Amino acid sequence: MIQEVRVAWREGFPDPQGEGLRAEMMRSLGIEGVARVRTVKVYRFEGITEGEADYLARALLCEDIYQEYTLNRPLIRDADWLVEVAYKPGVMNPEATSLVKAARDLGITGLVAADSGHEYAFYGTLSFEERRLVLDRLLVNPTVQRVVTARPATLVIEGEPGPVEIIPLREMTDDELLALSRDRLFLDLEELKTIQRHFRRLGRDPTDCEIEVLAQTWSEHCVHKTFKARLEVNGEPKVPLLERIRRASEEAAHPLVLSAFEDNSGVIEFYEGWAVCGKVETHNAPSAIEPYGGAATGSGGVFRDVMGTGQGARVIASTDMFCFAPPDLPWEEVPPGCLHPVYLLRRVVAGVRDYGNRMGVPTNNGSVHFHRDFRAKPTVIVGAYGLLPAKKAIRGRPKPKDLAVVVGGRTGRDGLHGATFSSAHMTASTIEVHAQAVQIGHPIEEKRTSDALLAARDEGLVRAITDCGAGGFSSAAGEMGAEVGVHLYLDRVPLKYTGLAPWEILLSESQERMLVAVAPENAARLVEICRAHNVEATVIGEFTGNKRFTASYGSRKVLDLDMGFLHQGRPRRTCKACWEPEEVPEDPIPPLEDLPSVLRAVMGHWNVCSKEPIVRMYDHGVQGALALPPFGGVTHAGPNDAVVLTPLLGRPYGLVIAHGLNPILMRLDPYAGALWACAEAVSNAVAAGADPAELVLIDNFIWPVPDERYLGALDLAVDACVDFVRATGMPFVSGKDSLSSTYLGPDGTRIDIPPVLCISAFGRIPDVARTVSADLKGPGHLLVLVGWRRPPEMAGSVYLELHGASSRQVPRVDPLRLVEVWRAVHRAIRAGAVLAAHDVSHGGPAAAVAEMCLGGALGAEVVVPDGEDAGPYLFNETAGNFVLELAPGADPAALFGGVPWRVLGHTVDGPVLTFRLGERRERVPLADLEAAWRRPMREVFGP
Amino acid sequence: MKPRACLLRAEGTNCDVETFYALELAGADPRMVHVNELRARSQRLRDYQLLVIPGGFTYGDDVAAGKILAVELISFLREEISEFVAAGKPVLGICNGFQVLVRTGLLPFREAGRVRAALIPNRSGRFECRWVRLRVEETPCVFTRGLAGRVIEMPVAHAEGRFYAPPPVMEELETRRQVVFRYVDGAGAPTAEYPANPNGSEAAVAGICDAAGTILGLMPHPERYVRPVQHPNWRRLGISGEGHGLAVFRNAVAYAAGL
Repeated sequence: MIQEVRVAWREGFPDPQGEGLRAEMMRSLGIEGVARVRTVKVYRFEGITEGEADYLARALLCEDIYQEYTLNRPLIRDADWLVEVAYKPGVMNPEATSLVKAARDLGITGLVAADSGHEYAFYGTLSFEERRLVLDRLLVNPTVQRVVTARPATLVIEGEPGPVEIIPLREMTDDELLALSRDRLFLDLEELKTIQRHFRRLGRDPTDCEIEVLAQTWSEHCVHKTFKARLEVNGEPKVPLLERIRRASEEAAHPLVLSAFEDNSGVIEFYEGWAVCGKVETHNAPSAIEPYGGAATGSGGVFRDVMGTGQGARVIASTDMFCFAPPDLPWEEVPPGCLHPVYLLRRVVAGVRDYGNRMGVPTNNGSVHFHRDFRAKPTVIVGAYGLLPAKKAIRGRPKPKDLAVVVGGRTGRDGLHGATFSSAHMTASTIEVHAQAVQIGHPIEEKRTSDALLAARDEGLVRAITDCGAGGFSSAAGEMGAEVGVHLYLDRVPLKYTGLAPWEILLSESQERMLVAVAPENAARLVEICRAHNVEATVIGEFTGNKRFTASYGSRKVLDLDMGFLHQGRPRRTCKACWEPEEVPEDPIPPLEDLPSVLRAVMGHWNVCSKEPIVRMYDHGVQGALALPPFGGVTHAGPNDAVVLTPLLGRPYGLVIAHGLNPILMRLDPYAGALWACAEAVSNAVAAGADPAELVLIDNFIWPVPDERYLGALDLAVDACVDFVRATGMPFVSGKDSLSSTYLGPDGTRIDIPPVLCISAFGRIPDVARTVSADLKGPGHLLVLVGWRRPPEMAGSVYLELHGASSRQVPRVDPLRLVEVWRAVHRAIRAGAVLAAHDVSHGGPAAAVAEMCLGGALGAEVVVPDGEDAGPYLFNETAGNFVLELAPGADPAALFGGVPWRVLGHTVDGPVLTFRLGERRERVPLADLEAAWRRPMREVFGP
Repeated sequence: MKPRACLLRAEGTNCDVETFYALELAGADPRMVHVNELRARSQRLRDYQLLVIPGGFTYGDDVAAGKILAVELISFLREEISEFVAAGKPVLGICNGFQVLVRTGLLPFREAGRVRAALIPNRSGRFECRWVRLRVEETPCVFTRGLAGRVIEMPVAHAEGRFYAPPPVMEELETRRQVVFRYVDGAGAPTAEYPANPNGSEAAVAGICDAAGTILGLMPHPERYVRPVQHPNWRRLGISGEGHGLAVFRNAVAYAAGL
């Protein structure tokens, strides 16, 4: 029998979770009739007596100074509506392991399984329709959760493993092949026929394991078919996309690069024998259907990429870049099968928060962008950066006889078909069909795994290491063993529950697992270190030397593939590309009429407004290395452009991290938009004090499914990246593409999500004392604008959008000239001539100055020169422009002689931003701007 | 000789590296000790002069923050810890470590196994990572010698930091001068206002000690402000010298060295 313990706040204590839910019901559903919501935690235990459950309640679950509990009976009886929500069976509840552990520590040995859920008690009248809304929109994500209506009979999941299936592939017709592909393999006909021919030559049919491993290895997600395809652009052959970026980066021959595109992340030299690495990933598809789990496991996955770099790195920072539809999107405009942006934003933030905070990784650089066309699918980008000894920074290669050890979490039926799924279009039925493709992360498992693996690395036990991400063991072992060959004993893999078929074990995407190649003589010590950290480590295979990927389950051989065919047998695609710009009317630039209200509207725009409430929920200071925080200034509300860390505590060395993206420009002009993103990423770092010569880049292309036109856009964006590398000498060291941002509705509607290129920049700084923040430091200082721009290039700007105007005149960036600007700005910062620096981006120089004022609690007087059109002058968004507060006595002409600069105005005491336009003086109180700037995110996340 | 500091780790401990650094900087000889090593008796608490339980999310904050580790310590190490405490050796719990100390009952009254106060979910209902101002009170606390009356700055980063104790316990804490740190506003007065008081703590309590002053628990993170560049505004304020948090560690080391 299951024992149930219910725990709640005692009467008289506020229940923040219940209050939050009630506020959310009013805010986003307009439900006013509920006076109070109480929450109850429900624990369930199997295999123990009622007396033992009572002991657990008193010793573990309930602290009677503020809580009360009941045993096997309801705790709340007077509510108008009581509903319990819990994870579905099979979705791993991370709390369950802790409950089992604590019970054992308390001497209770019979506990077989534990689970927990939440009851919500509503006081007030709710119609049937309102209840349904509360359940559907606020409480239950049917992908992973359910409403519990009765006490379950058992919490134990078990079953018999399914048999190994032989797929009669050799005899299949084209139609049958395609039917096999549609919901399982996601391969095209040519690929399927290549596999069919291969097995015809072998004279046998494949096992389900073999066909799944091939589909996974050849999936867009893992092999980047489009990026590697032969290209024909406007009829002319062109070098494949990936090769272009890699070749340009190699030719840059940057002296800091230790490992680029080789490993799970890109690595550069740091100081005193240390190296730093960076990796940025997307997790759009899972986040679209289960934003909390999707974002959390996105963070977990990119952290493991860093953990699996070289012989292992410690994760020291995390970044997050999101694109959503605006939170005020009417419900009826949310496409069928999709979730509302407010729910997505709140849950994605919660997922990133809980994974990073619990893992002890500071999330301290990021941004959120809003555009209507993200309503069908959000873009969720997460990055991670790591620290490792330079001597252990190169990807290891297993040797024959090395053992394959799985370290960390157990394998379950989680995320099956995640790799192939994220390569498929999103459709209205995606939520139902691919429910098992999402899971809940377990950051504590990953943290202890990281602790153990770093200890093993320091003892020299790790030959090679990689994470089990998309594609599970299939991908991890298949790649690690690509050159030598590997055999896996699938029956030795530790499982969460019985009943997994061999192919499921191979493909499972259960999180928090790392695969380590270890010399046979070191295996025992590795297992010992792991045990000391409560981490499971199991030898599951060996590297063979036969260049085959084989696996057995008991005595049965279930997989036997030639590594050559697996990795090189895929037919290379030829893709055609042809870019045609969208038809965009060319409106005249609207004149700036009411400056105060325009500036307030700009500051309150979704893409400009303060994102501080999000940052405050991330533990951005853990690890003690923060030397330039995301927000600083007098009231800690002024945003900085980049983060600077001192990962070697006590040493002066800085790691700088920044990024740039602009989905709106990408759609108007992929080449100019891509250059803008590159320029913005680097300028953010330079504004904080980075030396442009010591920065490297990471690319993330998040694109609609590439038809000819979108592939044309991609081709142009890649060209821009290549031109940027050649002009600046800054190489890419890592990158990723995700080409599935297309939504197909049940009625045939097609929504292309705007193409996103996210550029991340990271690098080193010799002394963080020579860095600057963005908050103004004192009155009477010169404010200068440094950089190249053509003010009328206003396309994509907030200013135009607010005026309902459109244009094709995108801001164009010339990277060669930009290098001169960066050098000049960097020289000035290093010389101590700059007291505050802010990069110009969304909202233009006016928004930049306003943010600097808010940070410094100082005013400014800005002069629009005669003859300048005030709108473009103040609100142009060309990347690579800087607003600088100069130290008294600093001479801008001497500092910036070689590049365009002009005096914008000067800083003043008093909380007012004043603009002089000829005879006119417009005074805007900072308090007004601050209120407008803070309001949007406060409406989403609360005060 | 440098006093040996036992920096206790468990699954999900995550402020260990910077706390280790702060201890070293303050002149201690710290060692990271996993709770498993103490349970296996391969490490003994008695070999140390100072015990520090750092921040983090031990066991994922499951059930309640610090609860699972508190249960583990009470179940397996009650005697060793009681002996350590009875010998007057200093114990410091930061953030999750404070939650653990309260849930073991070591704070406020050295009653191992008896929960007399609690750190409950923040009034705002969410995780809060922000800098706060703290007034150091006049107390017997050995970690804050020479600091009483000062207002210092440190960051907090927690979702469950609201200090609560039933009125009689609260009264006793005040009478015995066990409240060591209080959240204060810009004028230096204890405050219930968010966000200066980031979690809604009773009487603006940010940290307490036991009656003897050798056990200290606090929600803010002194280890995150031991050097000037860790302050978010070191540039504008021209901060040099030491971060405010270092004094806590220096006092701990000085006291442990004198035992």
